[in-house]
Amino acid sequence: MSSPGKYQTIIIASILLIASIIILSFNLKQLGGTGFIRRLVLETAAPLENIINSSMGGISGVWRRYIFFVGLEEENRKLRGEIVSLRGEVNQYREMYLEGMRLKKLLNLKENINYPTVIAEIIGGSRSSVFKMILINRGTTDGVKEGFPVLASEGVIGRIVEASWNVSRVLLLIDNNSNIDALIQKSRAQGVLQGRGGEGCILKYVQRSEDVRVGDNVVSSGLAGVFPKGLLLGVVKKVQKKKSGLFQEILVSPAVDLSRLEEALVILSDKKDRR
Amino acid sequence: MVYYLFLPVFSLLLIVFQTTVLDLFFMGKVGLELSLVLVVYAGFYLNIIKGGAMSFILGFYLDCVTGSIPGLFTFIYVAIFFLSRVVSLRVYMEGLTFIMVFTFTCAFSEGIATILIYEFFLGVDMFHNILRVFLPQALVIGVLSPALFAIFSRFEVLLNGGEARQINRT
Repeated sequence: MSSPGKYQTIIIASILLIASIIILSFNLKQLGGTGFIRRLVLETAAPLENIINSSMGGISGVWRRYIFFVGLEEENRKLRGEIVSLRGEVNQYREMYLEGMRLKKLLNLKENINYPTVIAEIIGGSRSSVFKMILINRGTTDGVKEGFPVLASEGVIGRIVEASWNVSRVLLLIDNNSNIDALIQKSRAQGVLQGRGGEGCILKYVQRSEDVRVGDNVVSSGLAGVFPKGLLLGVVKKVQKKKSGLFQEILVSPAVDLSRLEEALVILSDKKDRR
Repeated sequence: MVYYLFLPVFSLLLIVFQTTVLDLFFMGKVGLELSLVLVVYAGFYLNIIKGGAMSFILGFYLDCVTGSIPGLFTFIYVAIFFLSRVVSLRVYMEGLTFIMVFTFTCAFSEGIATILIYEFFLGVDMFHNILRVFLPQALVIGVLSPALFAIFSRFEVLLNGGEARQINRT
């Protein structure tokens, strides 16, 4: 490589590396804000993700039907087509019924919460094996802000970590970065519920002497002020007391099946807005 | 010039494709990070300005779309690009085995860097992900990298004209 080329490489490498280190170190110091460019990217990517996610369902349905019908007699195909069409109709009614039931549950939940709430649709998200987050179709224009809790009818889903104008990102309670002050409903033993990715969650800092059993409910303690007290977080799956150490190891399954989320309820938990 | 106009759009589409379609395909079990292979490819074959800009933009978009700390993947991608660049100047990198091993190493290093940055700066323990997430992810991406290199080469030919690169089966 010639000298000018070598210098060009070094200069460009230095500029790009320094720029990325500045972005990284700035954001490590000031976690929580959503910058303008990041909002723009999020607002552009969210509709694309939504379109792809919704059309993938249709494409996979078409593909399955195609495979199913290949090689069948004409009459058989017609009859099956009719069945498929009727099934589609029934399925549509069933979907509407189920959606109604889910919304009814969310509305019941909404009535029991002392804060204003907003119902949101899940429009996409990162199912990556490391970061466990979802995108919802509500943003700052609906009053959603960073830190607000997000629930399903069965319990807590997570909290808002980024709010753009019309889209927000929810950090699921199973994400490694998620820490929620929690307590065992029966024994009132306090701890911190931390996400463990695909394994669910672990309840940390519960003393060995506390009586914790498999099947006990874990609820939010309301201590950190993010989640209102008493929201169901999960159920104790496994309790392990090691020979040494102050605390016991408690594995917790989330109360909500996070792989089947469709709608969610965001609690607009600014204290001044309390009902 | 056309390259720089299309780069932001193309990069966003690639990242969205990666985080939606591929995620659905692999059911979220293994993340197939096409963008990382593209960064390694850029380090090997593209010029410094084109490749550097692509790595920076891909990393930035990935930060935005995955919700990681802003700058994390931007930094890692730029670093991997320049590492690939340096390696490409010193090593014969047309061999299939070399591409697989190098991409595996980059993917695994990316995982380790993510874990270390989260551990040291945010105190988040992600070490349990090494064997369960990052290693299988790096293995899959390493195995698929020669095929992905061939696809990227075709795209490059479409954009610039000429012949696609041959990857030796050694």
